[in-house]
Amino acid sequence: MLLTPILVIPPAAALLCLLVRSRRLMEGLNMLAFAATLALGIRLLHEVLARTVVTEWKEFFYADALSAWMVLLISAVSLGSSLYAGRYFRRDLAAGVVTAGRVKEFFVLTPVFATGMFLVVLANNLGVMWFALEATALSSVLLVALYNRKTSLEAAWKYIMLGSLGLALALFGTVITYAAAVGQNGNGRLPSFNWSHLMTVAAQFDPRLIKLAFVFVLVGYGTKAGLAPMHTWLPDAHSEAPSPTSAMLSGVSLKVAIYALLRFHILTTQCLGTGYSRTLLLGFGLFSMLLAAPFILVQSNLKRMLAYSSLEHVGLICAAIGLNTPVTIFGALLHMGYHALTKPVLFFAAGNIHQTFHTLKFRVIGPGVVKVLPVTVLFMGLAAVAAMGLPPFGLFYSELTVLSGGFAAGRTFISSLILAALIAAFCGILKQLTRILLGARKVERANDATAWDGVPAMGLLVGGLLVFSVWFPEPLLQLIHQAAGIIKGKS
Amino acid sequence: MNHSVSIEIGSQIIMLLAALMLVLQLLLVVQRMLLINIRLFALQSLMLTAIATVVAYYYNATHVYIVAVLTLVGKVIFLPWLLNRLVRRINIVQEIEPLFNAPTSMLICGGLTLLGYLVARPFTTLHKLGNNTLAIAITLLLTGFFLMINRRKAISQVLALLTIENGVMLAAVALTTYGMPLVVELGIFFDVMVAVMVLGILVYRIRESFDSMDTSKLDQLKG
Repeated sequence: MLLTPILVIPPAAALLCLLVRSRRLMEGLNMLAFAATLALGIRLLHEVLARTVVTEWKEFFYADALSAWMVLLISAVSLGSSLYAGRYFRRDLAAGVVTAGRVKEFFVLTPVFATGMFLVVLANNLGVMWFALEATALSSVLLVALYNRKTSLEAAWKYIMLGSLGLALALFGTVITYAAAVGQNGNGRLPSFNWSHLMTVAAQFDPRLIKLAFVFVLVGYGTKAGLAPMHTWLPDAHSEAPSPTSAMLSGVSLKVAIYALLRFHILTTQCLGTGYSRTLLLGFGLFSMLLAAPFILVQSNLKRMLAYSSLEHVGLICAAIGLNTPVTIFGALLHMGYHALTKPVLFFAAGNIHQTFHTLKFRVIGPGVVKVLPVTVLFMGLAAVAAMGLPPFGLFYSELTVLSGGFAAGRTFISSLILAALIAAFCGILKQLTRILLGARKVERANDATAWDGVPAMGLLVGGLLVFSVWFPEPLLQLIHQAAGIIKGKS
Repeated sequence: MNHSVSIEIGSQIIMLLAALMLVLQLLLVVQRMLLINIRLFALQSLMLTAIATVVAYYYNATHVYIVAVLTLVGKVIFLPWLLNRLVRRINIVQEIEPLFNAPTSMLICGGLTLLGYLVARPFTTLHKLGNNTLAIAITLLLTGFFLMINRRKAISQVLALLTIENGVMLAAVALTTYGMPLVVELGIFFDVMVAVMVLGILVYRIRESFDSMDTSKLDQLKG
């Protein structure tokens, strides 16, 4: 019993949060739940390395290396978020921006949101996976609307509308996949709709139906993953949500959607044995990357800029998987991990800036934030350097891995495009952040911030990032290799 | 041979009901009164229930009966009631102001139907009960998208989303012979219910903040 507790602990915490009154207790419950899932995730890692797959409840829950990797990412980011959330909401409450009821809503919905993500990566049945993804969308949309400002309602509405549309398309794709699997089965009954079962019989599927299904799934889950051109909800939702939620949305939620997409990609490749699905992934990934760079450069809002940077990273992950060499896939998985540790820190720091300056507009914040919030700026600077892909941080290695894999595979043109997009995004983030972080302050502002706001959360994630950048534990490395092997398939 | 004849009849009935779903969809597109729109959606869901019942009867599949009952309770009775209550509670102006007028909308939907049949054409040779419903399912999907673009009121966008969902369920029931596995159907069912409730909460809050349900007023976030 390992998978079941991962899926039971967070909803139990949510339930308890619903019952208790003390806010401290709610914070504690959230943190405890995610610390527990993180510990379980580490145990799962060792189990998966020992047994390749872990299944429970007659294979209803299924975890291979890819799932185990995702469980670790979800736990780490959720833990960071809940660490940060306590302090963040106490300041918001003091400022009268939110009501106590809304804060409770946050601590109840966040574990539900995380449970949905855990279920996505641990469910074997593709239909259940869809259901879990919809659950993440529904729980996070209320989190996006938490502040109940006009703009946050607008963002939530766009998010739920586009998300539901995308998920309806993904469901259609799932249904067609089911039909493709049933089609070859004489009596029309499929023994199970489990991914692991489908993989063993994929060769007999109707190829035309599978092709049709993948297009729907790609557009559907691609919307949830924020791939361009279906990304329009992404900057709105990320900028309007409370910072801990933005961190979870950007840090893992996007990647969980990519995970769902990958399961279908692996299935499609297994069935068709061609480059059909990976070419599509490559196309969407590249387009997202190329689109993100100019938008980063022209943004006037800090969190929106960070959202577009997420778009770029998601694009890179998809493009790297689309290149489909063992090296690039490995790089993509590594990139997921490093990005999950980096982006939340940026959102936490943005949250601190937002609460101190009461705005996210670059122009209003003005230069010289470092004079007001030195510690926040230190962490933000470190994370920003990491997100730009500079050494010694891990994202530099993962990006280099992807590029070298691409060039080695002879995909010179595509690799050059990726490189160009990376450089453009680099310049964009550098220009935007130096505008506000450094320099002398022109306008003095009353500063109600304490210097150590959010430091435990940021410290944890940046510390993790630094440690894993210079020292990558052997079991984790093996896990990613295994996961890359699953994505690459046999062909 | 008696069996194959009855399958033939079952197929015809399903086809007829699916066609009725499409007709109701087109009525939704041109109908301007919000409350009537909700009733049309309930009727469309009733057709879906009937299709599920026919499939369950011909294949003697218990779990498809469950799907039929769930659809009846959820989409024919509960959701329309919920939406009706929401409409009355926030006291909105009844008439919908679509972007395109009725004849134009009809023409566009005609084109979309044609497109649906074109997309589904290669797949309509599968020898199964109600094998031509894929075209209608795709058409419901496409016209649902159009409906969503064409409507500004938040509740009518929710309705458009629900008709898209109906299209997907039509595909699930008819295309895959026995429908999806029960656990998946249950999951989808509860998700749709929760989704509409969440949407209801949002509609209510939007109405409170903006004094309107017109989603074209949600235009502050750009770029």
